[in-house]
Amino acid sequence: MEPVSPTLVLAAVGAPVVAGLATLLLPWGRTSLRVLLATCGPLASLLFLGAHLRRYGVASNEEGTTAIGWVPSLHLDLGFLVDGLATFFALLVASVGVLIVLHARAYFGDDGTSLARFFPALGFFTSSMLGVVLADHLLLTVLFWEATSIGSFFLIGWDRDDETAVKRATQAFVTTGLGGLSLLGGVLLLGDATGSWRWSELVAGAADIGSGGTIVAAFVLIFIGAASKSAQWPFHYWLPGAMLAPTPVSAFLHSATMVKAGVFLLGRLLPVFGLLSIWLPVVVVFGAVTMLLGAVLALQQHDLKRIFAYTTVSQLGLFVCMYGLGGATDGHGGAAIDWDLSQIASHALYKAPLFLIAGALAHRVGARRLPELFGLWRRRVPGARLLVVVLLAAAYALAGGPGTVSFVAKEMFFGAVHHAAGSRPLLVIVGAMAVLTAMCNVAIAVRLAATVFGWRTGVGDEGTVPAGGEGQGRARDRWGALLWLPAAGLVAFQYVGGLVPPLWNSAFRRIEVHVNDVAFADGLPWPWEPFLHPGVPLAMSVAAIVLGIALGCSSRWRGEVTDVHDRIYPGSYRLVLGQGHRAFHTVQTGRLRNYLVLMFAMLLLSISWAAWIDPSMLRLPDGVVPFESVTGLLLGAVVCAAAIALPLVMERVVRVMVLGASGFAVVGLYLVYQAPDLALTQLMFEIISVILFLLVLRLLPRPDRRPRISPAPRLVMAALVGITIGWMTLLAGHAAEQRNEDAATLGAFFEEHSLEGSELTNGRGGEGRNIVNVILVDFRGFDTLGEITVLATAALGVWSMLPGRRRHEDDEDGGSETSEQATSAVEAGP
Amino acid sequence: MRIDSLILRTAVRLVLPLTLLFAIYAALKGHNGPGGGFIAGLITAVGLCTYRMAFGQRAFFRLLPTHPRWLVFAGLSVAVGVAVVPLLLGEPLLRSGSITLHLGGEGLHLVSAMAFDLGVLLVVVGVAIGMITRLGEELDP
Repeated sequence: MEPVSPTLVLAAVGAPVVAGLATLLLPWGRTSLRVLLATCGPLASLLFLGAHLRRYGVASNEEGTTAIGWVPSLHLDLGFLVDGLATFFALLVASVGVLIVLHARAYFGDDGTSLARFFPALGFFTSSMLGVVLADHLLLTVLFWEATSIGSFFLIGWDRDDETAVKRATQAFVTTGLGGLSLLGGVLLLGDATGSWRWSELVAGAADIGSGGTIVAAFVLIFIGAASKSAQWPFHYWLPGAMLAPTPVSAFLHSATMVKAGVFLLGRLLPVFGLLSIWLPVVVVFGAVTMLLGAVLALQQHDLKRIFAYTTVSQLGLFVCMYGLGGATDGHGGAAIDWDLSQIASHALYKAPLFLIAGALAHRVGARRLPELFGLWRRRVPGARLLVVVLLAAAYALAGGPGTVSFVAKEMFFGAVHHAAGSRPLLVIVGAMAVLTAMCNVAIAVRLAATVFGWRTGVGDEGTVPAGGEGQGRARDRWGALLWLPAAGLVAFQYVGGLVPPLWNSAFRRIEVHVNDVAFADGLPWPWEPFLHPGVPLAMSVAAIVLGIALGCSSRWRGEVTDVHDRIYPGSYRLVLGQGHRAFHTVQTGRLRNYLVLMFAMLLLSISWAAWIDPSMLRLPDGVVPFESVTGLLLGAVVCAAAIALPLVMERVVRVMVLGASGFAVVGLYLVYQAPDLALTQLMFEIISVILFLLVLRLLPRPDRRPRISPAPRLVMAALVGITIGWMTLLAGHAAEQRNEDAATLGAFFEEHSLEGSELTNGRGGEGRNIVNVILVDFRGFDTLGEITVLATAALGVWSMLPGRRRHEDDEDGGSETSEQATSAVEAGP
Repeated sequence: MRIDSLILRTAVRLVLPLTLLFAIYAALKGHNGPGGGFIAGLITAVGLCTYRMAFGQRAFFRLLPTHPRWLVFAGLSVAVGVAVVPLLLGEPLLRSGSITLHLGGEGLHLVSAMAFDLGVLLVVVGVAIGMITRLGEELDP
């Protein structure tokens, strides 16, 4: 078989970010050109993907492309897996991406700055999302996964001046970021345990993956990652919180793409982990709880975006549940999962339009809350009726009304639950939860319709409509049509697929992975077919619709509630900060004395431990000549004298001088032992430290002459530390002599190779005679590079945290002043 | 911080050029004798700091008409450049090369590590001066 080249896929992944960044190069005002260029990104992705598929077709999920080597030692290469699942998600991301770019143009209006900021971030996000779904290498998936978190952080916190938006962006980032860490851990465990680092290999070898503890742990960790990204209970709080983002972002990230990353991952994992006995209970339970919780909360919201956010949470729970059921078998031995991609597509096709219309309403009418939208149909707002039509068309799909793809998708899910429940009776509960969820969705749609038409059962009344709500929308521009056109286009597919299913089937049959004919023999049925063969799923649908209409018209559950889980993040955030604060202040007392005691105590402890293990450390090393050099001895005496004198002197300036004396004596010691480089360095350091001391001495408070702590314990401590460190230095100095003479030492190596190379170094030497310097810039040049980088970073920190007053810029007349000061100083001098 | 002393000013005027000359010597000689970029950087910094002590901040910035961060930037760029160039030539990072120039007499042996050393020098000078002048600014506004 011909090897599949990854180039086209790579181009498809890269195109959006390249196009997005390229918009930065355009001159500021060129908005139309900017939009055009930004559209080219996802469009190019579609073309490249199309070209790839034309050439190689949809791979089965065991055939990845060949890989471009990146970091082979870490099992990280650029390889892609373009199977049905990936193709579907990539096409979804890219095509919704195109629509979002167009909608953003209308949403941001003529605000050129916002658009200029928006497109690069959007391009980055689109690319990383494409990467997640197309990647074949486990770590490549993780990499792109993190990139989507970062991209979404920028997009959610779009309004930089809105403190809440920034907080919510951080909340989303921290939650999904922690999930990402969990995913990384799981992936590492999985790759390590199985030895295969590509999804395609894992799927191929899924049969003998076993069910060992490591595999289960890997599954649980990866599932936590997927659950946090896909807003599963109890991590779901970040998704409604992220609704402060601009609507194009909500429509893109929080309906069509990012939140589906977790669902996608479950789709990837199903063939790998599906046979684990823990798969079904874990995935189904979390999915089902999320599904019902989201629906109940959605029903009790008034803000359109929050309603749709909670229904998204609910729907994501349903998808997770759906993949969970994939681990069960139906009566015929196949997995209880059917046409899963159609179900996911169906959600994107109505949820993205709902978000887009919510944004358009806020834009046109200036209202996003249900009471403010009361009776919108009868109000004379230009263009509002069109928006309402699209909104209700999408809401009908949300309710899963007959004639839409969404209706069939729901039937399929009910069917899967029904079949799986045949062998696992407990799943009946899940079926009941699914019916309740569908009921809530119907109620939401009913209530939405009643509100915009101004019926009695709607939320709010004439009094809640803001006065003058008509004129608040921004002036119509010629791009206004883009506000509703993308939404209408997406929702149209719902009806095309629902009413003329062969079109939908021919498109999806090629990419659907799970076709088990559970509910319908041959893809989506004609709209009337389900009614010809009534069964349990149809009964569940009918029950949901009837109950939902009743609930929508009733007066129960109409208020707004806050989700208790919204407290999880702020609570734990405060807890971490508070405890961190306490821990910090326990350890960081701010007294140098305490730090030194702590450090020295640790030092003494660790050295005594080492000596306890290896008592030979206590013996005096052989070959120590006490009176080797008289000069050295004298200089050592100076150092000791200075050290003893230091605490006895009270005057600070004198102390600095005494310290200097000991330093210069050390310089002399270096000279005696023929280390001119060290001597020079030490000398310069002594000078610089004297200058620094003189600089800061004036800042210090007056010395406290009455020591409050008795000096005796400190003297003991000082003596102990001094003796120990002195002893260790002695041992270190003679370590080489202690060792076997034949063993090569590092010193000998450097000595031999600093000028000329040898066989050991492929004939390359340092080409210098100064060993110290050759070590610094050649042997360990990389370390030096790191060190100067650290140095530079530290200096940058000083400059940025203590920004100077830039006096050298206004020093035109500085010269005369200096000389004036000089003369006055001379006059004032003694 | 400034010490008003005619003696210091006169002495520094004489000593500073010598200090800088010695720093250059130490930097160039470094690969074969005592010295090197780090030491030369410290020497330069000490010289410039004494100059600043004698003549004050304004005069100092006339001598060095740029913010020290540009020294750091230049130094780091040189060092990174020397480190990366071998990569472009298909060699490992930081692989050193050398040429010998024959200008009469004994050949002049130049090693690419010397350029790296120059980068270290610039960074050290920039950081030391930057921190000391910044501290000085804090002390006498």
